[in-house]
Amino acid sequence: MPAMNLQDLQSIREANRHRVEFTRNTCLMLCGGTGCRSTGSLEIKEALQKEITTRGIQDSVDVVETGCNGFCARGPILVVQPHDIFYHNLTLQDIPELVQEQLVNNTPLQRLQYKDPVSKQILPRQQDIPFFAHQLPWVLRNRGIIDPESIDQYIARDGYFAAARALLEMTPGDILQQMHKSGLRGRGGAGFPVHLKWKYASEEKSPVKYVVCNADEGDPGAFMDRSILEANPHSVLEGMLIAARTVNAGHGFIYCRTEYPLALERVQTAIDRAREYGLLGSDILGSGFQFDLEIYQGAGAFVCGEETALMRSIEGGRGMPRPRPPFPAQKGLWDRPTVLNNVETLANVPLIILEGGDWYAGVGTEHSKGTKVFALSGDVRNIGLVEVPMGTSLCSIIYDIGGGIPGKRKFKAVQLGGPSGGCVPAEYLDLPVDYEAISRAGAIMGSGGMIVMDQRTCMVDMARFFMDFVQEESCGKCTPCREGTMRILEILDRIRAGDGVIQDLWELEDLSATIRDSSLCGLGQTAPNPVLSTLKYFPKEYEDHIRNKKCPAKKCTALVKFRVNADKCTSCGLCHKNCPSGAVHWKKKQPAEIDPQKCIKCMLCLDNCMFDAID
Amino acid sequence: MGKQVKLRIDGQEVQAPAGMNLIDAAELAGIHIPNLCYLRGMKGIGACRMCLVEVEGLKAPIIACNTKVKQDMAVHTRTERVQEIRRFVVDLILSMHPLDCVTCTKSGVCNLQEYAYEFGLKESSFSRKKFTYPVDEGNPFVKRDPAYCILCGRCVRVCKEQGTNVLDFMGRGIESKVITANDMPLHESGCTFCGSCIDVCPVSALREADREKKGREWEFSRHESVCMLCGCGCDITVSTKGDLIQKINAGSRSPSTEQHFICTYGRFGYEHVDGGKRILSPMVRKGGQLQEVSMKDALEDLAGRLKKAGKNTGFISTASILNEDAMTLQRFSGEVVKTSNIDSTASLYARPEQLEKSQKAKLDKADLIILVGVNPSQWTRVLPALDVAVRRRLSRKGRLITINSQETALDKLAEINLNGDEIQAVQGMIKSVPDHGIKVDQKLLKHVQEASTDKNMQQAAEMFAGSSNPLIISDPAFFDVASNLAWIKGQAMAMPLESNARGVVLMGVKSKDNTFQDMAAVEHGLVQRGRSTVKLLYAVGDVPLSKKPDGVDFLVVQSSSFTGLAREADMVLPAATYLESSGSMVDYLGQLKTVEQAIEPRGESKTHRDIFVQLAKNMGATLKKPTFSEVKKAAGTEVILSVADMSRKEAFQETPESYLQALNAPVLETSRLLWLKESGMT
Ligand SMILES: Cc1cc2nc3c(=O)[nH]c(=O)nc-3n(C[C@H](O)[C@H](O)[C@H](O)COP(=O)(O)O)c2cc1C
Ligand code: SF4
Ligand code: SF4
Ligand code: SF4
Ligand code: SF4
Ligand code: SF4
Ligand code: FES
Ligand code: FES
Repeated sequence: MPAMNLQDLQSIREANRHRVEFTRNTCLMLCGGTGCRSTGSLEIKEALQKEITTRGIQDSVDVVETGCNGFCARGPILVVQPHDIFYHNLTLQDIPELVQEQLVNNTPLQRLQYKDPVSKQILPRQQDIPFFAHQLPWVLRNRGIIDPESIDQYIARDGYFAAARALLEMTPGDILQQMHKSGLRGRGGAGFPVHLKWKYASEEKSPVKYVVCNADEGDPGAFMDRSILEANPHSVLEGMLIAARTVNAGHGFIYCRTEYPLALERVQTAIDRAREYGLLGSDILGSGFQFDLEIYQGAGAFVCGEETALMRSIEGGRGMPRPRPPFPAQKGLWDRPTVLNNVETLANVPLIILEGGDWYAGVGTEHSKGTKVFALSGDVRNIGLVEVPMGTSLCSIIYDIGGGIPGKRKFKAVQLGGPSGGCVPAEYLDLPVDYEAISRAGAIMGSGGMIVMDQRTCMVDMARFFMDFVQEESCGKCTPCREGTMRILEILDRIRAGDGVIQDLWELEDLSATIRDSSLCGLGQTAPNPVLSTLKYFPKEYEDHIRNKKCPAKKCTALVKFRVNADKCTSCGLCHKNCPSGAVHWKKKQPAEIDPQKCIKCMLCLDNCMFDAID
Repeated sequence: MGKQVKLRIDGQEVQAPAGMNLIDAAELAGIHIPNLCYLRGMKGIGACRMCLVEVEGLKAPIIACNTKVKQDMAVHTRTERVQEIRRFVVDLILSMHPLDCVTCTKSGVCNLQEYAYEFGLKESSFSRKKFTYPVDEGNPFVKRDPAYCILCGRCVRVCKEQGTNVLDFMGRGIESKVITANDMPLHESGCTFCGSCIDVCPVSALREADREKKGREWEFSRHESVCMLCGCGCDITVSTKGDLIQKINAGSRSPSTEQHFICTYGRFGYEHVDGGKRILSPMVRKGGQLQEVSMKDALEDLAGRLKKAGKNTGFISTASILNEDAMTLQRFSGEVVKTSNIDSTASLYARPEQLEKSQKAKLDKADLIILVGVNPSQWTRVLPALDVAVRRRLSRKGRLITINSQETALDKLAEINLNGDEIQAVQGMIKSVPDHGIKVDQKLLKHVQEASTDKNMQQAAEMFAGSSNPLIISDPAFFDVASNLAWIKGQAMAMPLESNARGVVLMGVKSKDNTFQDMAAVEHGLVQRGRSTVKLLYAVGDVPLSKKPDGVDFLVVQSSSFTGLAREADMVLPAATYLESSGSMVDYLGQLKTVEQAIEPRGESKTHRDIFVQLAKNMGATLKKPTFSEVKKAAGTEVILSVADMSRKEAFQETPESYLQALNAPVLETSRLLWLKESGMT
């Protein structure tokens, strides 16, 4: 296909508008995100198509596979458009009935619809479900609306019109000005102002410059970037194109981990389509500007997400960070000026260019503008992908959107920013999502991982989990991180085993402070955060482990006595049934008893006791 | 360049060149900033964190190895905060390190030990943690003992920068280690056994394979000298104990860190001084057999013969003898024996004018290197240090153009390869230079009117025009034409195969009448055929010939090893090796370097100059050994270039590889270097 101009772009938008406004056919928007695929959405798609064909309605019904809908906990998910009817937890068996009722008889199939857990009322429309109602989908603006593999549908949603404006109407200075006004800050962790990074790179005099998209996303519990790439890949491409135009870069890389096969596939398709349309390559939209990009598959080390390690990895070296300065904007890939931004950061860019920086800055707090995508996970009802305005309180995210903690358990803390972040306890639940406010609380905004923890979480154990993670992911280059994290881990292990002494707590603080101050890259500098924040908010829990040799959350097996509390025991016998080593003696109407000789501390009795009767 | 910056370090005012890092700047003021991963000349990598310092106005400590001096900066290198971090780092390292200082051969020069001492850390405050890794001792040169490794990465970086690229990091976190590709032993991973990694390892993780038997560091005397085994003439530091050489390391006298390298010959070849081919006493052929005689008798006998032979005497020398020996030889032949038949092996591959016209240059100042017809390679062991110097220069600053009719080892690193005929390529380049804004004298342009140019040549010319300090290193065969480039700008030199070729010629050992070829009856390469032009032939040094030339009545060989030629000699005189002599030499870049005697001459051997002085005495003449200032004067001859001949000169028929092997045969055969040959690694 020949390279196109603005008019061509406009005609594509018009020709495809009906597809995204659902003005012709009924559209079955089936989630094809990684989550729903794992629960069978691909088979369901086939079944839907088969049922539709058998009923002869294929001409008026389209089945569209979309990116992640967000409500992953309820997958597979189907939304019927234009009526916005939401179905969840679909199984293959449901499909014939669903097609018959919804599409032939035009009556919604109630048993597959969303029931509000509190009012027990059915909420048929997606937009009424609280999970969605409190969100502000900007970056995720196309979710559930377009087929991520269709560039036409992206264009129909004004896709590439921001790039067209940047290329045809705006000077790099104009773009920088809008970016400045928008107040957009990096979503990859550090929150560095985007316009500054771009400005520095644009001021460098070099015939060769690069734009790199960081899609390494290695922190446990994070899947924001993956979902964006899967659901809306062109928005990232368009963001990169605009960045390239601003700094005058000719080539770009998307650094994505191999563990994201679907994202890789969708991005590659997007690149291929964009090239066919002449939206990548030479003389884009007749502007004379040239830019192309390629995917670089990373081997999946967490540290490769660090910008200098990432660039080293693209250069073919071992992903190890190097000291800055020089910063990537001055000397990045192959020592050339390089703009390096996170996936979500880049996906925000088209919106800013289309709607204007002032408009964008209309949402958010004083220093944190726009929206932020979070991957909500852990002990929360509605695990999924959410996008909220900056300034939204943690409470609102966890309770209004997340639906709170399942069961009768109590909220304990929420971990923000993964292994580099910290935990925020219940007292701080009204903390707004804002870079500075979260830092003050001892956590970091991070890339958007949000792990909710209920009372069963042991904070020492949690700190250990992340310390173990960073210790294994430390690239090994600098001494404090390589060996210091191992020493912290040792102390945590000691405490968890009941061998801790109170001096260990000072040692932990000392070690943490020194590692933070002396490590080479962000990984080591932030590695102590989980320890420091748990020490800050849950000192008593550490002391309990040390002084009383008790783990209040009953997680640290060495400290759990596995004794039945006769006062609480109702003699139900569940512990007896579940014990794999026959250590529980139980007779009807008598409290159970655990034989410490036989007990292997597998925790099964504890997990199964409904009356919290095991210490 | 040249701009100075003033700053304060620990309250002391320091002046340092702009662009210098804080570690080097502090060193200028005599302040040592602790460091374990820094390598002078290379970018700081910030791995060990020992060099963290505090700078007024900055919240967090910063690393001195990667921070450049700034005007009015106030640096504190020993604050409580950074000392605490350093102590912490050493403490961590010690917790995983064998505390073997009592027997460890690194003790005394070990950086880790030094810092542990500074912080009074007898042992780590952390619990011991140790991995057992196998020791790599499959070769007689370099032993890798990962138990001692502190992961500073220095070895990885030197090996990478010099292009051998044998080592790398593996694993993450606490399991990180340094390994070879596929974790094979060194001798199966492309290692050249140069030992650069040994020189930079701050601890005992990399050491000479036989290091343990050689004594403790404080028992050694150290001698700053020069390796005379090939045209690179590398600086070496020789450690001796008693009268034995215990090890040789790369010297660090040369100002450019690019040149801090020695190859496996320079490092391990020293064993030949006590090797099985060493000549320990004079010998005279009696009844067809070489038989030992006293030095006195031999020299008296020879004096008589020389007197008689007079003009029919010819002197041929290697170009690896020291300046002082060469100048004495030149005086002896002319003033005492009164013959004009004198020449050196340098004649085999260069004309004297080419070496005399070679300029002086500083490699670390060059921003463009042009190699014309030379193919240095660490792997073929041809001028390995030049290969390394070029690679290092390129990785720091500098660009490369290779001009060679054959493929060269450095082609891949060059931005431009001109791989047709060398002479035409240079001519084409010169012709294109004026197109890139550089004026070229008409006198020169006239000579290249006929030359044809292509796109490559034009690009090369453009790069040359844009460079500010090009360095042209040429095979002598193309030096005349190549030197014309330096007439436009930069410096040019003819690259010799032997260490002191420039010096030997400057000291006057060059043909005035009969050439080396005439006297040795060499037809091409090293092939001897035909008749010699002299009756008494006097070979000085380990001249790589194997036959007494036809026509020669009496052959004297004054060398340190039983070469092929010595076996055919009528008289053999034992000469001291370069490790047993002191004096000076002129390296390929024109630097006059002193050679310090490390050990006593073996057996009855004497320096060449001492033998000549004694012979002169026996002949009734007085011969004075040259003073250093005489040598310096001769070596410092000003070079003025003029437009030089544009045509090709007779090239050497021998490959550099085979010539160097012939030249160093005694060293290769009577040291552990023999292992290379025996295991098929040469
Ligand atoms: C250990 C470590 C891991 C990181 N991982 C990521 C990542 O997976 N994705 C990301 O966008 N940024 C990551 N970062 C942050 C990047 O270094 C960099 O700051 C960011 O990509 C810049 O983009 P932004 O300004 O758009 O946020 C990581 C940083 C560190 C220190
Ligand atoms: S802080 Fe950790 S990950 Fe970063 S460079 Fe140091 S060892 Fe590597
Ligand atoms: S390497 Fe250094 S610190 Fe280690 S045992 Fe040897 S001398 Fe001691
Ligand atoms: S001996 Fe030389 S080539 Fe071998 S590993 Fe060491 S530095 Fe590299
Ligand atoms: S072997 Fe020596 S030089 Fe190499 S990383 Fe280990 S300590 Fe450093
Ligand atoms: S490169 Fe040449 S001069 Fe240098 S050490 Fe090796 S043999 Fe000696
Ligand atoms: S994958 Fe389907 S809702 Fe997230
Ligand atoms: S010397 Fe600067 S960090 Fe090692």
